[in-house]
Amino acid sequence: MNILGAVVTFLLAFVVGMTYGGLNRKITARIQNRKGPPFYQNFIDAFKLASKKSAIHHGAMHHLGPAFLMVSSVVTLMIVPVLTHSQWFPNLNFQGDLIFLLYIMTFGPLGMALGAGQTGNPNSAIGVTRGLSQMVGFEIPWVMALVAIMIQYHTTSITGLMAAQAQSGTWLMFSSPFAFIAAILAMLGMFGYSPFDVVIAPAELASGPASENGGKYLFTMMSSGSVFAFVKLTLYVDLFLGGADNIIMLLIKTFALYMIPVLYSNTSVRYRTEQSIRWFWGWPTFFGLLAILQAVIF
Amino acid sequence: MEMIHIIFLIFFGGAIITYFAGKVSKVLQDILFLISVLVPAYLFFAYVSMGKDVSLTLGGISLIWGVNHFSWFFSLIVLGLGSMAAIYSLGFMKGKERKGYFYFNFILSIMSMMGILLSQDLISFFIFWEIMTWTSYLITIYSGNDIQRIGIKYFVFSAIGAYAMLMAIVMVHHLSGTFLIGDMIKIYPHMSLSMQIWIPILFLMAFGVKAAMMPLHVWAPDAYSNAPMAYTSVFSGALSKMGIYGMVIILVTMTNQIPQGTWFREILAWLGGITAALGTLWAIRQDDAKKLLAYSSVAQLGYIITGIAIGTELAMLAGLFLAVMHALFKGTLFMVTGAVEKQTGTTNFNEVTGLIRKMPWTFLAALLSIIALAGIPPLGGFVGKWMLYESLITSNHYLLVILVFFSSTAAFLYCYKFLFGFFLGQEEKEWSHVKEAPAVMVVPMVLMGLFMFVLGTFPGIVLKPINNGLVDLGFVDSFKHLWNSSIILNGWGNQVVLQPILYYIIAVFVFFAIFLSWKGFRTTRYVTTKDISSSGEVPAEDENLTFSVGFMQPFLRAVAPAMRRQIDKYYTGIAEGLESLFEFMRKVYTGNGQTYAIYVFIFVVVVLLFKNVLF
Repeated sequence: MNILGAVVTFLLAFVVGMTYGGLNRKITARIQNRKGPPFYQNFIDAFKLASKKSAIHHGAMHHLGPAFLMVSSVVTLMIVPVLTHSQWFPNLNFQGDLIFLLYIMTFGPLGMALGAGQTGNPNSAIGVTRGLSQMVGFEIPWVMALVAIMIQYHTTSITGLMAAQAQSGTWLMFSSPFAFIAAILAMLGMFGYSPFDVVIAPAELASGPASENGGKYLFTMMSSGSVFAFVKLTLYVDLFLGGADNIIMLLIKTFALYMIPVLYSNTSVRYRTEQSIRWFWGWPTFFGLLAILQAVIF
Repeated sequence: MEMIHIIFLIFFGGAIITYFAGKVSKVLQDILFLISVLVPAYLFFAYVSMGKDVSLTLGGISLIWGVNHFSWFFSLIVLGLGSMAAIYSLGFMKGKERKGYFYFNFILSIMSMMGILLSQDLISFFIFWEIMTWTSYLITIYSGNDIQRIGIKYFVFSAIGAYAMLMAIVMVHHLSGTFLIGDMIKIYPHMSLSMQIWIPILFLMAFGVKAAMMPLHVWAPDAYSNAPMAYTSVFSGALSKMGIYGMVIILVTMTNQIPQGTWFREILAWLGGITAALGTLWAIRQDDAKKLLAYSSVAQLGYIITGIAIGTELAMLAGLFLAVMHALFKGTLFMVTGAVEKQTGTTNFNEVTGLIRKMPWTFLAALLSIIALAGIPPLGGFVGKWMLYESLITSNHYLLVILVFFSSTAAFLYCYKFLFGFFLGQEEKEWSHVKEAPAVMVVPMVLMGLFMFVLGTFPGIVLKPINNGLVDLGFVDSFKHLWNSSIILNGWGNQVVLQPILYYIIAVFVFFAIFLSWKGFRTTRYVTTKDISSSGEVPAEDENLTFSVGFMQPFLRAVAPAMRRQIDKYYTGIAEGLESLFEFMRKVYTGNGQTYAIYVFIFVVVVLLFKNVLF
């Protein structure tokens, strides 16, 4: 099958995701009036980690945890259409729909959670329980937004929604604004940056689930995170911003979206877990309800 | 003699012979027990033909038994899970007291479930329903703990359900003069409106009790956790499905015929959704694995009820597919809990931790079933969940889908709690002696786990009998239209093609597993869970780093308002009120002969005084 296409997609996601991560560090530094690392610092970190040799492990689940994480990122990447009209990136676009996507996205964190659990570090397990709790929080407005656009266009597939936008000529962001707002608010939780960084909580949990990992383990987790960040942004572009015809448009749109969690994180401090959950069940859920109302009435 | 009669004879005779064989030899008893479960199962699938009714006349009433595609599908659950649990029981019950009592009730319980499925008339349906209640009650009180509270609670609810059903049967007979289920369904649209409302409600009380539906579920957590785990896997996996079977066969086909039926369905679907949400929240709160799984069963049955109550083709497929999946994964999980209980003596998460390296096969079975429970691809649970969501969305149940989605996302929390509580976390010296469970217990668990894995990619194996059963009930054939051997579709034509997805998952996983292990796993050495970076310090041997108390505290704080009220308390209130009423009655009925003599005397005096007024 189209193995080459899959590899190219993966490499693109890896490079873009890593660069965005580096830019995040740079922008954060400039906001805090520091010079900050160069934007390619994440690549340096990643290759340093990849070249390191691990001396210890905590058992089979810990060893395979990062692989579970990667499965989820890569399969999600294969499902989400990267460009609208391209021979290179069709992969699994027509084989799964949005509900499938929601579930495959949770595959990785759960596998990772098992790995983190086996290390026996209490901080890891606390981070996992917080992460799962927060996920229940932000999935509600996110699913509401998705249900709203699904019933508006009578399709549950991503390609179907993109086709609907192309046909009507407007982006879903404008035709169902409430769904867009709810989804964007949910995205803040999905990225897990401050104020929703309850999982890694650097000053409290010592980076949580990742804390017993180094070398190749950490490299795999880091690259999976970068790929996943790219996939999430691309998914939002596909769903609400009409998709992208070429890579330049994709980069502009995804970067613009990426700035929302980055800038929001720089102006806020961490919530407690229950505050974070309640936050998502407040205004974001209200907008989600409005979105469903709009979809039902109009 | 017909094959169905032979099967019931083997069940019944086997139960009695097994009970007494314990006096001769324990091994003989085990063998006889296996024979009396496995042989009828084999005979049923090999020799019983569809659509041929056999009758047996007892006291002037002919009891009619027969099998159609729909009951055949449920027999698959009962006999499949029953056989697995029977094999598991041999290991679980080894060295325990009163094996004969357990085996006797186990076999009769399987027999009564088969009886319910094969009954074509309400009389035998009711008789088998009662046998099922009795046998499950007797096994629930097997351990002898807290019989007053747990046993009686279960029995009172079952009795209320059974009398409601009996009342409905009498009403149907009075109105139509028949005991046949088929006739009852035919005559239903011609009844008066009040009967059309009351008969389904009365039946629903009976089925709702067994299917642990809100607000009739309060017996379930106690009863499920108090029965021996070998039976609880059947109790939660198969016996609760009898409620679902009843709901489908009597309610959905009956109320479908009148226009007001949609209201009935909507209420039922919402009850299912609320059951799912609240069951999940309470499951997260439990610190005992048995209780956690019991509440989780209540929640999962909620999804199934929602599915069958929506009643479109896709929703029915979803509900029944989830019923099969629930039998598989909850059966396995209760077996896992039983294995842990047998090896360590406790099922409390606060006591036992870090068993993964001691019980790897049990962990594998638990992992597979947890993934299936959470509905994550590529295991079978996903197929059921996907169909349920799609059916809710395509049938315009927008808020219900959010509720269902909430409970199934929150389910991840207790899934993780279960796995972490038993198998992950700090390894403690206290449990260093623990060994893997015996093979006779491990093999059924792992087999069921593998079957779930296969169903995740080829759901057609189970969807085919479901579809045949639904066609028997009058639904449209949905083959190729909603499902194929490994493709699932929704009403709008959107699809999930499971096979390539599985290949991708395997390919990526294998690639990165090799990447991580390359020059890695062999040369790296295993270090214990004490050798960790605890804020830069190396923790001492005796330092306690176990994390299990208050496991999901932040989440529980966030949802605290929803859990403040407890239906159990209302029932306790009612029970206390009744008790004081009975206390008053006792003042009247003192049991003292002299008091009764005074009553008689007063009565005579009253009659004499008011003779003219009264007569």
